[in-house]
Amino acid sequence: MKKILLKTENLSKSFSSGGNLQHVLKNIDLELYQGDFTVIMGASGAGKSTLLYALSGMDTPSLGTITFGERRISSLSQDELAVFRRDHCGFVFQQIYLIDGMSVMDNVLSAGLLTDRDRKSVILRAKELFADVDISEETQNKFPTQISGGEAQRVGMVRALINSPEILFADEPTGALNSKTGLDVLDTLTRFNEKGQSIVMVTHDMRSARRGSRILYLKDGMILGECDLGKYAMQDDSARQEKLASFLAEMGW
Amino acid sequence: MRKSILLARSNLRRAKGQTAAIIVLIFLAALMLNLWLMLSMDYRQNFRRCHDRLNAEHVTMAIDGDTSEMRKFVTDTLKADKRTAEFFLDSVLHMVGTFEYNGGEMNSEFIFMEKEDALNRKIGKIEIVEDSSYTRGIYMPVLYRSDDIAVGKTMELSIGSRKMSYTVCGFFNSAMMGSHNCSMCGVLLTEDCYQELEEAGYAPRAALCSIRLHDREGSEDYDAMLKDAVSARYPAARTASNTYAMVSQSRYISQMICSGIMSAMACFILIIALVVIASNIINYIQENMKNLGALKAVGYTSRQLISSLQMQFTGIALVVAWMGAGVSYVLFPYINEMMISQTGIPYEVRFLPVPFFLTLAVLGGTVSGVVWMSSRRIRNVEPIVALRQGIQTHTFKQNHVPLDRTRTPLNLALALKTTMSGVKHNVTICITMLVLSLVAVFSGLMVRNMIMDSAPFLDMIVGEIADSCINVQAEAEEGFLKEMNTDERVQKIYLYHSLQVTHAGGDVLVATLTDDFSKVNNQKVMIEGRFPKYDNEIAVAAKYAAEKKLKTGDEIKLTAGGKQGAYIISGFVQISNNLGKDCLFTREGYERLGELENTSYYLNLADDTDIEAFNSEVKERFGDNVNATIDINATVQSGSAVYVSLMKIIVMAVLVLSVLVITFVLYLLVRTMVSNKKRDYGILKALGFTTGQLICQTALSFMPAVILSTIGGVTVCSFIINPLTALFLRNIGIVKSTFTVPVWYNILAGMGMILSAFLIACLLSLKIKKITPRALLAGE
Repeated sequence: MKKILLKTENLSKSFSSGGNLQHVLKNIDLELYQGDFTVIMGASGAGKSTLLYALSGMDTPSLGTITFGERRISSLSQDELAVFRRDHCGFVFQQIYLIDGMSVMDNVLSAGLLTDRDRKSVILRAKELFADVDISEETQNKFPTQISGGEAQRVGMVRALINSPEILFADEPTGALNSKTGLDVLDTLTRFNEKGQSIVMVTHDMRSARRGSRILYLKDGMILGECDLGKYAMQDDSARQEKLASFLAEMGW
Repeated sequence: MRKSILLARSNLRRAKGQTAAIIVLIFLAALMLNLWLMLSMDYRQNFRRCHDRLNAEHVTMAIDGDTSEMRKFVTDTLKADKRTAEFFLDSVLHMVGTFEYNGGEMNSEFIFMEKEDALNRKIGKIEIVEDSSYTRGIYMPVLYRSDDIAVGKTMELSIGSRKMSYTVCGFFNSAMMGSHNCSMCGVLLTEDCYQELEEAGYAPRAALCSIRLHDREGSEDYDAMLKDAVSARYPAARTASNTYAMVSQSRYISQMICSGIMSAMACFILIIALVVIASNIINYIQENMKNLGALKAVGYTSRQLISSLQMQFTGIALVVAWMGAGVSYVLFPYINEMMISQTGIPYEVRFLPVPFFLTLAVLGGTVSGVVWMSSRRIRNVEPIVALRQGIQTHTFKQNHVPLDRTRTPLNLALALKTTMSGVKHNVTICITMLVLSLVAVFSGLMVRNMIMDSAPFLDMIVGEIADSCINVQAEAEEGFLKEMNTDERVQKIYLYHSLQVTHAGGDVLVATLTDDFSKVNNQKVMIEGRFPKYDNEIAVAAKYAAEKKLKTGDEIKLTAGGKQGAYIISGFVQISNNLGKDCLFTREGYERLGELENTSYYLNLADDTDIEAFNSEVKERFGDNVNATIDINATVQSGSAVYVSLMKIIVMAVLVLSVLVITFVLYLLVRTMVSNKKRDYGILKALGFTTGQLICQTALSFMPAVILSTIGGVTVCSFIINPLTALFLRNIGIVKSTFTVPVWYNILAGMGMILSAFLIACLLSLKIKKITPRALLAGE
């Protein structure tokens, strides 16, 4: 029996645009499980990113509840949500969003030292993670404008993982990268998932989606269907591709 | 041109907040600048206008006696001098007197004139400013119009040793006799009151000589000549006189103080506004590098882009300067009201084109210059480079405060990173805080030495202060001293008598004599060397010595009563009563020139003594042998009240202005920072930083510059404030300021400034609350 990490009930999100209320998410009931690599797919405008922001506490729902463990996060204030994100979540963004004025190491430590953990252990953890994603010590002292896009996204992942989050949220993590560096990023995510890291990733790229163990398909703000691909292994890539393709075809992709 | 206007409008729309703050700073600078220019260029001229309008005299002298023989002598003397343009002699009554004013006692040499005679004077005309239907009573100089001295009220005037009560019938304006600061103060009495006083004999008859000169610059020399001539011929005659040079300066001391402070504030605010504009433009170029590249790519020239900034800032400066200068006309009547309490000369507020256009020119010119200097960088923007990745606007050559190597708490470390990377912000803050430190230290100095305890101010400005001053006839001196020395209420009595002597070259100096200078209460007047001990020694005013290049040990020749004597300078003093034209010597020293006809003694009385009652008792006991008694404390209180209240207003005004300036400067900096770091704040919020942490970080990032510049500023200003004050007061004879620097006040003021800056920065950073991580992710 998988442990439920995060649960939503009747999750809805609406935006007012030009006087019209636009319902982006409609009554979503969802459970996310520990250790899963959940991929949220869907066409543009389906509400994928909005769902990710709501699940991660970046945004608050208009209606419904989101429960993390025993805690209802949908009713938290902005500052309480910030503390929630700091303690439980990690984020990898499409635009990476490193702070230009800080060195690579400081970008990571600015997130790591925010928690009450011992300074030495945070620095040690950062160094381990850098080694894991192949970021050299020299690169650690550079500024974001001095490194490549692939390196920057790997730094972004180190920053996301520095606090050992219970869930890692990734919004189109390969969207701004070329094919080779995108693959490196996916490999890194897969590796961390293999080590037990729960991941929720939004993508519209099939190659990225294949890395997921569970695919959710969103259409018009509702979950239209889901597909269980099981844990990723290099050898089952073609079989997963077929299964995913058939699922997406069924969803009208 | 049209394109530049469009760009300027677009820039303005995008930076409304910054524009508003710059508008406020320029507005304040224009306001202060125009007020200062009006005060310095026109207000002082008001005396000249008043003097011309009233065909006022350049030298006035009252000579007790008024015999026909004396009149003939004076007429011959005046006619014989080629400098005399015209003169007029009339009969008046002359006596030292006192009255209650400003919560104290005002004493002066009163010149009593019959009202109708006075109004018909050809030279030194007198104009009635406020009249009434009262037909019997007194008309006072308009300077003294107050709650207690008002039309219909009864005022008591002590004339010599008698008290007279008069109904106030009105007020008049006189250029040369309208203030206690003019050596002699005119008073008009209705015909019957005048006759009554004349018949009573309380005030002796005197000849009042009113002389107009061909060249008013020579008024002091002329006064010295006349005094010498009169004292040589009539050694016993008591005289009182004033000159154009002395009156024009002494009636405008408050104008000088106010004008000086306004000039300083105008300069400070202008400097801050210019620094803020320069910082704003440099920041604008950095943040809009890509846009500027794009505009260049579509055909805009560097000149057009620079013109748009010129139009934006210089245009704002001119419009706002126009408004600021305009609003200064709303404030000027209040300042005028404040000034009149010291000048005593009504001033009609009217439009002054020269200060107005000068204000526009100074603000327009300096802003235009600063815009040109700071926007020249636009010429280096190459469209391709700017469009590709933007010219590197931040050069991260050094990783300040690396988080893996510092033990500093995270939020402070991140704040320090921001501090280290914001040189322009730090420079702006440093300049602002240094200026404000000077303002705070100056305010502290005034509060400590003038408002809370006026003794240091009075010691420096007034000179010698005791409880009572009694002037006795020379023949009664011995008996008077014998009685005073046995009176238990008298703690100390010493000769402190002032009279005039002439220095070779014609300068009239006020000489103060005493038997033993170790007895005088205020030893601080001696600022270099020592008091005179022997009869051939003299101490001269430091300002006068500097003007005449006199050194300690030099010999100077003085004349009095037709005799001349040589004296060796034993030291320098500063007394501002006579605008720096003073000297001190011993009684024996003076007696080498002449005998004293009467002597003034200063008395320190026991604490519980009623000074007024004591003085009355002495008057009664010695009768006509006592010429006058003065309650010095009350006189000083009354005279200084104007300056103390003026300083209270100035201190309040500069403190309010300082708070406004620091608020707007911080507003500009915080707003720029929040706008520039919006993305960073969004990322940090997404990572889990709370709004409070980010606000704290932002406010803390200003603190190193605030703390260092405040500590440095307050420390340096504490050391230089006395020399600066002396520089400021040099015109009234102060060359060395001896004010106590209130160390604790300065420390508290510094701490207050730092704390205020932090709180203001926190409040202004509240905008961070609106930045949400979702907005960042949605690309808003």
